[in-house]
Amino acid sequence: MGEGVRFWILSAFLVVAGLVQPASGGTPVHDRAGFAVSLCGDGAAQSRALDALIRSSGEDAVDDLAAAGLLLRGLLERRLVCLGDTAILLDRIGASDGREVASGAVRPADGGRSPVLGLRQRALVETALGIATLVAGETVELRSKGLAAVERRMAGVPDAVLARAQENERDPGLKAAIGTAAQGAALSSPDPVRRLAAISAVADAPSGAAVSRLSALKSDPAYRGDPAFRAALDVGIARVERAVWIGNGLALLYNGLSFASILFMAAAGLAIIFGLMGVINLAQGEFIMVGAYAAYGVQETFRRFAPGFLDLYLVAAIPVAFLAAALVGILIEALILRHLYRRPLMSLLATWAVSLFLINLVRVAFGSQNLQFGMPSYVSGGVPLYADFIVTWNRLFAIAFAAATLVLTLLILKRTPLGLDIRAVTQNRDIAACLGIRTRRVDRLAFGFGSGLAGLAGVALCPIYSVNPGMGATFIVDSFMVVVLGGVGTVVGTLVAALGIGGANVLIEPFYGAVAAKVIVLAGIILFLQRRPEGLFAVRRRR
Amino acid sequence: MVDVTRRHFIGTAAALAAPAIIRPAWAADTVKLGCLFSSSGTMANIEGRLNHVVRMAADGINAKGGVNGRRIEVVTSDPASDWPLYAQIGRQMLQQEKVAALFGCWTSVSRKSVLPVVEQNDGLLFYPLHFEGDENSKNVVYVNSPPASSVLPAVDYLMGAEGVGAKRFFMIGSDYVWPRTINKQLKAYWTSKGVAATAWREEYVPLGFSNFQTLVNQIRSFAAEPGGQPIVVLTVVGSSIPDFLREFANQGIRATDVPILGLDMVEADLEGLDTAPLVGHLNCWAYLQAAKAEANTRFLADWAAYVKAKSVPFSADTVIDPMVSAYDSVQLWALAAAKAGSFDVPEVRKAFAGLSFADPSGYTLTMTGENNYVSRGVFIGSVNEKQGFDILWQSPDAPKPVPFSPYG
Repeated sequence: MGEGVRFWILSAFLVVAGLVQPASGGTPVHDRAGFAVSLCGDGAAQSRALDALIRSSGEDAVDDLAAAGLLLRGLLERRLVCLGDTAILLDRIGASDGREVASGAVRPADGGRSPVLGLRQRALVETALGIATLVAGETVELRSKGLAAVERRMAGVPDAVLARAQENERDPGLKAAIGTAAQGAALSSPDPVRRLAAISAVADAPSGAAVSRLSALKSDPAYRGDPAFRAALDVGIARVERAVWIGNGLALLYNGLSFASILFMAAAGLAIIFGLMGVINLAQGEFIMVGAYAAYGVQETFRRFAPGFLDLYLVAAIPVAFLAAALVGILIEALILRHLYRRPLMSLLATWAVSLFLINLVRVAFGSQNLQFGMPSYVSGGVPLYADFIVTWNRLFAIAFAAATLVLTLLILKRTPLGLDIRAVTQNRDIAACLGIRTRRVDRLAFGFGSGLAGLAGVALCPIYSVNPGMGATFIVDSFMVVVLGGVGTVVGTLVAALGIGGANVLIEPFYGAVAAKVIVLAGIILFLQRRPEGLFAVRRRR
Repeated sequence: MVDVTRRHFIGTAAALAAPAIIRPAWAADTVKLGCLFSSSGTMANIEGRLNHVVRMAADGINAKGGVNGRRIEVVTSDPASDWPLYAQIGRQMLQQEKVAALFGCWTSVSRKSVLPVVEQNDGLLFYPLHFEGDENSKNVVYVNSPPASSVLPAVDYLMGAEGVGAKRFFMIGSDYVWPRTINKQLKAYWTSKGVAATAWREEYVPLGFSNFQTLVNQIRSFAAEPGGQPIVVLTVVGSSIPDFLREFANQGIRATDVPILGLDMVEADLEGLDTAPLVGHLNCWAYLQAAKAEANTRFLADWAAYVKAKSVPFSADTVIDPMVSAYDSVQLWALAAAKAGSFDVPEVRKAFAGLSFADPSGYTLTMTGENNYVSRGVFIGSVNEKQGFDILWQSPDAPKPVPFSPYG
């Protein structure tokens, strides 16, 4: 105990005193220069050095681990430059000079090479860096990150590391978390009590990997010999399996919902355009693209004029994308489509031409490579929610976006004068005109509104899909499928159809594959439309 | 008035939609080369670049006086990622434009569709992609590697101690001939190595597929099962690649958990992606931009200058294997035509035997005359933070190509 306190004080002092002190010889890790040089060697030399570091990491001095951590981070980020028999660490990639690892002297990086890590070595580096951060990280946040990294590769981490980290940890939350991790690591411990605790700790954090880890214990002699162990293991496995099953169910639900939200976003505008004017708008996908490019424009503007708020560009892009796509839509309506009403075939060809024109215009203006979006943290990565169920932020963003669009669209259609006009014209154009509604104006606004919705879809989709001139073509077939199935001219129908198609796709995919899922869904829609050509929800209209 | 408008728009639609051949021209002192690369559809982003590379190569040769005293004229087209259209335009180019050679196709399905056309017309198609092999037409020059000299070395690397000691394999590909043949050969290869059939899974998605959520979930459950280190062998093509990678990273899988071997993955697929969470995933090609060779430095500079001079709508500092292979194709054709002293296909074909050319990869390309394959080196690349690939491994020399795989 006393020694623990002394150790803590000593290590705290060392961390505070800074990490660039010269090494104090001894084990391989303490020889910092030697360690750096082995990292410069071939794969085998790297592996040897890293293995040695990990093996001794339970006992190494904190400042040595911290120094090793700096080196490893440099290696991962390719800031470690090897120059013959010495290595230097750059402050940033591409810097012209850096500090020599052994002496701390500034040296030019000319002619050096930064080693490329093989996958095996990369895994070792991640483990070692995790250990170093967990033990020697200066803030609680850093140390939690270290713990997360260590937990990913628990199999390769010596027990002493966790014990030591737990002992030294002052933050109660993190201390408990390290304790749980340490408990889980003791699955093959000789002490039966610790083993039982390990089983329940593993079962408390259910995942597919936990099932594998626990099931592997069934071949352990204790499983046959020790009834208490056997019972605990069986209960543990049953618990984890149930949790994984629920987690997979949630994932299925989430996948279905997210695919449905994408379909809905892509089809919502079309539902209005197709429903109101009977225009088969083949350029709808390109309106989505226009929205995405508008989002890109907003990003670039932010980058140029307000780099501090760059993370908010997706939010700021919402109105811009809507207006940009709506403007393009209104222009097309005014210039082309209004001459072609009541000639569906002509308008189909014309919108196809528009679609090709827009694709090529964008290609000439921006090039056909995928656009470079910097994804803010709220739409990248994900968080494990339960068992193997991970909520990915970009999909959640799309789901929320689709829900907001739905509410907004319904409000506009049901609660505003424009919505009333749109509904009137949808139901009976001639009578609506007789009653004094300026149908031409309504057409134009509705077309703009429909295009604007497609523009919004562009914003929602750019964290999920690649943005390039051809991106719209992917959505056009799916959106028509949704609109036709839902029933022409109803937003609710579109929603239900999107949910149905999205859900069916996601349900079928794990069993029969993505190709068959598409075919089965398409066949199902055809059969359904045979029985109910007007779709799920038909607007009653007089002709 | 309305009628005029209508006709006008039908005309516009037809003009824009038709697979128009751009820049048809004729002069006695020129020789024509035809390109079959899409600049629209799902392959546009990657195939589109190759048109410009062929132009650049032709310009380079023209600047040195052309071939056999004639200037090269490049005829480009847009088959719109529509496989039958490749054959249609290919026929048009051979019969009407009388091109001396065709340079084209990315996907194997497009090559298969052009194959009967070049065979009937005794044309010559230079195919710049690595592919599934099992084909040896006298009318096609396979400029890139068959699986035995690219895919198998990479899979071997991953299965070996130097790689990750891979034991289990999740194959995911676009649903067409290349992924299916490659996977068939891989399965036979693994069987020959004593890997049990339970150790792999095979999934296919439609071309242009983008919603990879469920598949990545499946990969995660596959990875959690016991039985050893899993890897993903990725043979999806076109726009599916970045969409897959993005979902893979978002679900929190790292290269050190489950590495992806992307057989069609090139630098261009990483454009627009945040590659920090993707670092370490692998690909294998006969050329990587990071290749250390003087010819490569020159090629990169030439491409950057060309992009700038002609305002080509592609990145000036991204060069991918098929671009170099397309460039090599033009050089090989020019060398053969000069050696034959003729543009006649049979003469040019005879001249292939013994050709060699030091290409940007740093290896020397050679053709033996036994078949129309070219021997190339192999690189294994590892994704880095800067949307490129670092060279993890490269073959000591250029292996002799084996057209027909003994596996599968």
